[in-house]
Amino acid sequence: MTARRVALIPGAFALRAEYAGLEDPIPELRAAVHEVVDWLDEGAGSDGEIGVYCTGQQHGLASELLARHRRPVGTREETPIAVLAIANGTACRTEKAPGFFDPRAADFDAHLASALVLPDPTALANVDEVLAQELLADVEAIRSLGGEVLTAHHRATVRYSDDPYGVQYWVVTWEWEMPDGA
Amino acid sequence: MLRLGRHEFADHATLMMAIVNRTPDSFYDKGATWAEDKAFDRVAQVVDEGAEIVDIGGIKAAPGVEIGIDEEISRVAGFVARVRAAHPGLVISVDTWRAEVGRVVCAEGADVLNDAWGGADPALVDAAAEFGAGLICTHTGGVTPRTRPYRIEYDDVVAAAIADTTSYAERAVAAGVPREGIVIDPAHDFGKNTFHSLELTRRLGEMTATGWPVLVSLSNKDFVGESLDLPVGERLTGTLAATAVCALAGARIYRVHEVTETRQVVDMVNTIAGRRLPQRAIRGLQ
Repeated sequence: MTARRVALIPGAFALRAEYAGLEDPIPELRAAVHEVVDWLDEGAGSDGEIGVYCTGQQHGLASELLARHRRPVGTREETPIAVLAIANGTACRTEKAPGFFDPRAADFDAHLASALVLPDPTALANVDEVLAQELLADVEAIRSLGGEVLTAHHRATVRYSDDPYGVQYWVVTWEWEMPDGA
Repeated sequence: MLRLGRHEFADHATLMMAIVNRTPDSFYDKGATWAEDKAFDRVAQVVDEGAEIVDIGGIKAAPGVEIGIDEEISRVAGFVARVRAAHPGLVISVDTWRAEVGRVVCAEGADVLNDAWGGADPALVDAAAEFGAGLICTHTGGVTPRTRPYRIEYDDVVAAAIADTTSYAERAVAAGVPREGIVIDPAHDFGKNTFHSLELTRRLGEMTATGWPVLVSLSNKDFVGESLDLPVGERLTGTLAATAVCALAGARIYRVHEVTETRQVVDMVNTIAGRRLPQRAIRGLQ
């Protein structure tokens, strides 16, 4: 089975409750993230699972977000009906960015954004890991989306795209459209 | 919950009580707000700075020309009414030890009676009870209002302050003052030498451990000046250091001349203590 609903959110630690302040530094991003997790929950239904793709470091965020819907981060099914991926672009987009300014960051993110929106599963599966590491981009889950989840029949909607603190965040959803004749 | 007259505050809230003198001769401002319009401007300023409470006083604490009841009322009552009308969300406290004054100002809209002289007039609790006002119960060691300490000693000043303020608080409850509107105050410098005030500061946690909300009035006082050998006007840093110690111990209300600086210190200390979240955190969390 193909994943019908897929969402990508960034792994910003500021999304986690333990790092909350009195004022939210990322209110628009948080709203977009909660909106897509709600959307995934609706798509998975009461019987389906939301499969999670993320690094170990982001497991806590995934748990927290799914707990809002009383869902555990379970063992991934072969092809879950709904998928949550946690990844983001570079962290070198400005001088104030965590990784300082790197002139390669804008191009890297632009190419990645294009591949996400098409989507281009092959390009996503083959994102340059070495360059990503140099630019502090967390692309592991994006590579997995390209290799295991997204197809040419997924249609993307970009719900958030910005770099408020020099880190490129995307909130993107994909919905599977049944191919003609299928 | 803390309820000061018509205003309610959560248990963890810290409050700034800004001093507004209707006197020509108080030690710090030396009559700067003696003119009523100047005092009114001062209220607007401290409200802008975030003060939740103003403490309006018509008689300076130090010895001086005797101010009768009628004169005290004329200095504060009309002013309370004016502030009440202009700032309905502001807690109005009046610094007075006299029950007659307390009744008049409560009728004009005061929310709290700040008995800086520790029950010198036993009927003040009845005035607070009659109007449902809050009451600040201070410790002075029983000295006469408007006198300076002279060769006063305590076996244990902190124990004395706790015993006197909590028994005053219970007396107020028995008289009908709402329990959630009662605050205790060790009253730095009142009936105390500098060593007493320093010990009260150092051991303030014993007062907050009573469960009564604690007010501290530290601003530019002599115990700060003597500790640093600095005159009035140069005591802000020392005041803020004492404020930090009291904040760490859990004081709830800060009677101050400088609202902005005190608020920052209290918020910072409570954030360090884990009682308050950072205002806005993103460093390393992007």
